[in-house]
Amino acid sequence: MNVATPFPQITQAHPAGIPSAEQILELLPRPVLVVGSDGLVTYANTASMTSLAAVVGSEMHDLFPGCALNLATMTGAPSSLLVSRDSENFDAAIAALGAGQFLIDLRPSLHAQCADKPSGLDELTGLTKRNALLACLSSALCTGPASSVAVHCLDLDRFKMINDTLGHAVGDLLLKKVADRLTAACHKDDIVARIGGDEFVVMQRHVEEEGAAETLASRIVDLIGRTYVIHGHTVNIGVSVGVAIGKDAVQARDLLRNGDLALYEAKKAGRGRYSMFKNGMDALLFARREMEIDLRRALALKQFKLNYQPFINVTSNRVDGFEALLRWEHPVKGNIPPLSFISLAEENGLIVKIGEWVMRTACVEAMSWPGEMIVAVNVSPLQFKADTLLDTVATALKRSGLPAHRLEIEITEGALLDDTDNVIQTLNSLRELGVKISMDDFGTGYSSLSYLQKFPFNKIKIDRSFVASDDADSEAILRSIAGLGASLGMAITAEGVETAEQLSRIRGERCTHVQGYLTGRPMGIDQIPAFLAQNDVE
Amino acid sequence: MASGMYRLVYYSRNHIAHNEATFGSHLEEILEKSRINNQRDEITGALLFNAGCFAQVLEGPLDKVEAAFERIQQDERHGNVSLLALDPIDRRSFPNWAMGFIGTSDIHAKRFAGIGLSSGFDPSRLSGDEIHALLRDLAIEEEAA
Repeated sequence: MNVATPFPQITQAHPAGIPSAEQILELLPRPVLVVGSDGLVTYANTASMTSLAAVVGSEMHDLFPGCALNLATMTGAPSSLLVSRDSENFDAAIAALGAGQFLIDLRPSLHAQCADKPSGLDELTGLTKRNALLACLSSALCTGPASSVAVHCLDLDRFKMINDTLGHAVGDLLLKKVADRLTAACHKDDIVARIGGDEFVVMQRHVEEEGAAETLASRIVDLIGRTYVIHGHTVNIGVSVGVAIGKDAVQARDLLRNGDLALYEAKKAGRGRYSMFKNGMDALLFARREMEIDLRRALALKQFKLNYQPFINVTSNRVDGFEALLRWEHPVKGNIPPLSFISLAEENGLIVKIGEWVMRTACVEAMSWPGEMIVAVNVSPLQFKADTLLDTVATALKRSGLPAHRLEIEITEGALLDDTDNVIQTLNSLRELGVKISMDDFGTGYSSLSYLQKFPFNKIKIDRSFVASDDADSEAILRSIAGLGASLGMAITAEGVETAEQLSRIRGERCTHVQGYLTGRPMGIDQIPAFLAQNDVE
Repeated sequence: MASGMYRLVYYSRNHIAHNEATFGSHLEEILEKSRINNQRDEITGALLFNAGCFAQVLEGPLDKVEAAFERIQQDERHGNVSLLALDPIDRRSFPNWAMGFIGTSDIHAKRFAGIGLSSGFDPSRLSGDEIHALLRDLAIEEEAA
């Protein structure tokens, strides 16, 4: 639709050098509309497009939903209040242009309509709703010095779990209690709003004093995190809070966006805490979003490849197999190490697709290796949650033709932390396929012995940190884990072996395998034949 | 909602300034308010405090106990609230006390000494049952005196 439709009433010629009335209207910073008696917009200036998204053909009741419009009776009245879709308030002056056309001049209203109208209240909690909050925030930002307003964006931690386990009735009561506590924590001039299922926003006034916003945020974290008792159930949740202060943004929306960015930081830092918005957070998030977009494309654009690092059997001195290691070759940024993108991929779920690709590719590529050589593939805890792991593995084996006993799946303790029973069940099914299962990075996490008892791993991989340090403690730990594995009938790999001295030390312990730079760096699939040939000679 | 009788036990850390006068007036206010509310709500119980923490037993109809506990949770004069027990009961342990208060009188000092008052009585090391038993014994003693 064309916005710059010629204005119907202005057709007279004008002296050169003086802007036309139409040009003036287009440059006017506030919205001006011409509307037919049927409510259809016949002219919209540039400002009305930017602030209302109004174009020729827009309908008034879409632009100002919920506002009763009787153009004829409103004509000539001092001004009427119109609330836009974005909950911005305008004082509208209306003039009849004849031929059923009306001129509507919209000035941003300073007397914003606030939360006290009943329709602005959330039914469950009685709190303000999103639109009314935005209106109040806009008005506070317009009228007062902007630095006197702060927004606290809240997201409850573990609420979904409570809802799922104790039911919606308890969940609803919990939300009510949260609302009560928030109201109790705030000043009566402040506004507490519920803007989504378990999302709340507090608009705090009078934050001129240094630290006032921080004080409220930490009070909210404390109060909401205290135990609830509902229908005899003890309920514990937490809250993450992102705080933005008015001086950092002019528009209500921007302020809320900054609050959301800070909230994201609070969640990333471990939840149950607050975080203040800082300039630069948006840049960080932008970089992250960019990385996410790149990551989504990487699979389709075949930017991933696998490198393989050999593990050596210390008894036979032969290569038993290779661990597949993911590499991302970014066309612009070069090689991006897994540490920089795996956590992002786990966060947005892409890890499942990436993991499938790794599994498929590793199985296919391992088919070119001689003898019974094993390929070890890392599996993220998230892949267990996705519930498709068993299928992925079975399909990868079938399509590649790789015998199941030549595939070894490496998991970390993280996979066993949640939902242990289901994970063990999946591991058992994988084992029934004939696949080997090993425990990776043992010694760095919880190192819970009960995991070793719950599932008979084929192999334990001792974390490189115990191999690298040559102090008595590390050596004792290494020896104990190796001894433990040996008694449980599990193979033991010492990771990160870099020097001949470390290797001889490990030979003395009961480790069965070593993996590290000394015995072979990660290499491309095409380098493997040469590596194996050389290894045979030695 | 019809609800049976429940007992709730918690302890918390005192956030009131360690100034005796302020503390005394706050405490009086807390007790006064809770006695009024509790009489209305058929709640009985006892409150134990020292400079470092509060420990409280609330008993009564479940919904009333829950409401009282929610009020307590919203009070910023204490924090680190640990809910130690919430159990159905057959009868009250403090039938005559809208909110018994057990402070640090001489008699109690001796008893507290046994559980380490000298180093600051620390209910966080006690279970809900132990706190309940302790408060009940102290209450009986108080009533007998």
